[in-house]
Amino acid sequence: MRKYMAEHVVPAGRIRRKQPVREVPEITHSVREKAGQTLTGWRFNLLGVLFILAGVMIIIQLFRLQFSPERSEFVLQGEQYSRTLHIFYPPRGDIYDRWGRLLAGSTLVYEVGAQVDNVDNPDSIAFALSKVLTSHPEYDYAGYSDDIFAVIHEAQISGTAYVQLADFVTPEELTQLQDWARNYANLPNVDYGEAGRPSLDGLVYRPRLQRYYPENELAANVLGFVNREGNGMFGVESEFNDLLAGAPQSVWMTLDPYQVTEIPQLEAGADIVLTIDREIQAAAEDVLNKGLEDSGADGGVVLVMDPNTGEMLAIASTPRLDPNEYWNYASVFTDNTPYNRAISQDYEPGSVFKVLTMAAALDNGAVTPDTEYVDTGSIQIGGITIHNWDWGAWGPQTMQGCLSHSLNVCLTWVATQLGAGPFYQYMQSFGFGRTTGIDLAGEASGRLKIPGDTDWYEAELGTNSFGQGVAVTPVQMVMAISSIANGKGEMMMPHVMRSMVRDGFQYTPTPQVVGKPISAETARHLTDLLANSLEGESSDALVEGYRVAGKTGTAEIATPKGYTGEATNASFVGWGPVDNPRFLVYVWLEKPTSSPWGSVVAAPVFRDMVERLVVLMDIPPDGVLQGLVNH
Amino acid sequence: MIGVILLFLVCAAIIAGIYLNVTARAAAAGRQIQEMQVRVYGYHYLTGDAGETYVPIEELEQKIANLASQLAYLTSYSIMQERVKDLNLIPIEADHIDYMVVPGYVERQTSSLAPPPVPVVVNASTIDPEFKQSLFDWVADQVGKTVKLFSEAQP
Repeated sequence: MRKYMAEHVVPAGRIRRKQPVREVPEITHSVREKAGQTLTGWRFNLLGVLFILAGVMIIIQLFRLQFSPERSEFVLQGEQYSRTLHIFYPPRGDIYDRWGRLLAGSTLVYEVGAQVDNVDNPDSIAFALSKVLTSHPEYDYAGYSDDIFAVIHEAQISGTAYVQLADFVTPEELTQLQDWARNYANLPNVDYGEAGRPSLDGLVYRPRLQRYYPENELAANVLGFVNREGNGMFGVESEFNDLLAGAPQSVWMTLDPYQVTEIPQLEAGADIVLTIDREIQAAAEDVLNKGLEDSGADGGVVLVMDPNTGEMLAIASTPRLDPNEYWNYASVFTDNTPYNRAISQDYEPGSVFKVLTMAAALDNGAVTPDTEYVDTGSIQIGGITIHNWDWGAWGPQTMQGCLSHSLNVCLTWVATQLGAGPFYQYMQSFGFGRTTGIDLAGEASGRLKIPGDTDWYEAELGTNSFGQGVAVTPVQMVMAISSIANGKGEMMMPHVMRSMVRDGFQYTPTPQVVGKPISAETARHLTDLLANSLEGESSDALVEGYRVAGKTGTAEIATPKGYTGEATNASFVGWGPVDNPRFLVYVWLEKPTSSPWGSVVAAPVFRDMVERLVVLMDIPPDGVLQGLVNH
Repeated sequence: MIGVILLFLVCAAIIAGIYLNVTARAAAAGRQIQEMQVRVYGYHYLTGDAGETYVPIEELEQKIANLASQLAYLTSYSIMQERVKDLNLIPIEADHIDYMVVPGYVERQTSSLAPPPVPVVVNASTIDPEFKQSLFDWVADQVGKTVKLFSEAQP
């Protein structure tokens, strides 16, 4: 009902009235407003059109650039700013002694230059460098400061970004420059006049490695050095330069951090482990220095070799250069003195050569140890007369006597018994007249005249038999005598590289037998002969407790006026212990003044060397060793 | 309609934000790697390298070589001889040495400088993929890992 009523009854007072039409007042604009609105719309439209046009132009330009002739130029410019060329210099390989002690490594030095745009005061830079780098001969001159100023000034004019001002600056010198820079930076802000405020702004540096020899002069003749250009000179540095240096590699490093690439695997320089024993090398150099001092000799060599392998344990030669100061080369090696006499200087060895003559004759069967020769004091050969060193006649002598007394006449006779052909064949088998192949740069080949050569005469057979008229190097002598010293007749190639470390692997070549000029039996017989000779002569070369074999040598030096007894080459070659040879020592003293004889000046050097060797190599005395073996 | 547009804009803004975040981190990491590799612009300033965080690998190798040489100098023959003198030691002579038999004694061996053998991995990258992959690579990678995780979790 209510519903019904609700539909049909309208309560009083709530009569729905028709709502009056609400008239929206017409918005009226003034003429001015209408004109402004039109203008604004027009401006917006214009702006929009301009933006669209600009966008279209940009897009058209982008397309045009893709196909324009300048495209490659723009690409090139873009690449220049997106990457930088970096040259990687792998560190030069290190050189170690046989026990892994560093003999040649690397140290930090600095290249100093100027970033020209950042330079405030070129005068200050020039002044600071000229005061700090005084220890560099190349920078220590009166006009250096002016030159630096001129270089920077020219760079500023030409728009060069960077100029190098100095190289090989040491860490100490760099610290000094840094101190100068800090001091300048802390100066008060006052008027400095025309000179301007002192400043080292713009001076920059870059570290790099330089060769360094921590042992200084020790083994310098073996190592050689690396020059300013980074090239190995002399010795191991030169011989293995390609191996040690590694290959510099230029790499474009991207500046885009999203395109980082890995550093390329650089072909680093190989490390080399030498056969040299630092302690033995130091002992050899000590002993040689003392020998030179005692004898007054001009120069000398002490070589220590393992005759079983050919490994050179020490090569001492004079003079020696500190390879860290290689620029002193010319003042150290005067008068064409070779860098390493042991391999580069040939000389007439004298009576040490008799060992080889006797080896050849014994091996050939021309003589036996018991063969007797009656020494009359002279012998004729090829039209000349050979005399003994003392011009005396020694009467009946066995081969041991000939060696013990070092009789020229007897050895000449032995050579004639052998004959020229076999004699020179043996000498060539011993390696004379050609290089040994030792792995050191600058080896000389010496000279062995043989029948058939235009300058060979029959008399040469006699003089050669006792080591005159033949030119050999000390390293040739040790190679030849290694065949006797090792008791096997095998001639070992002398070498200084024991192994090479490359790419994480260590390569160790096996010792090389160059040849077998004599039999093992000959080697043992001759060693006995020589050991007995030393004992019989109570030689200065004898070492208490150890049986050693050896031979002295004294050779006259040829001059333009002929041979003279006033200047000699004094030598000694020896090895031991005879029962189990561990070392072969060769001593050569050039022009000793205290005495011309090898037995007087060279034999004691050998003894001193061996006395230190047996300690360094842990070689017990023969008696002790025998006792230990029996134990 | 407006709601759809706004939803689209919000999604686009979120994706753009994530993208910017990831790319900014990738760029920062890339720059760090570059600084660790080489000194890109080559030089040090004399008054110090302000803001230098890393020493590049190249310069670290140079410093290691330098330190090895310094160590070699400190143990060089001449320096050791000076120390021997300072300690009043004298070289032993052959006749003062007592030798004895030591069972099992191994003679001193010459130097072996090669590093111990390690597994050789050919062409292995040392840069993590996070520093090289794009956002989409990263998303695909994450999705793949998640799928793998769930598939492994199933019995």
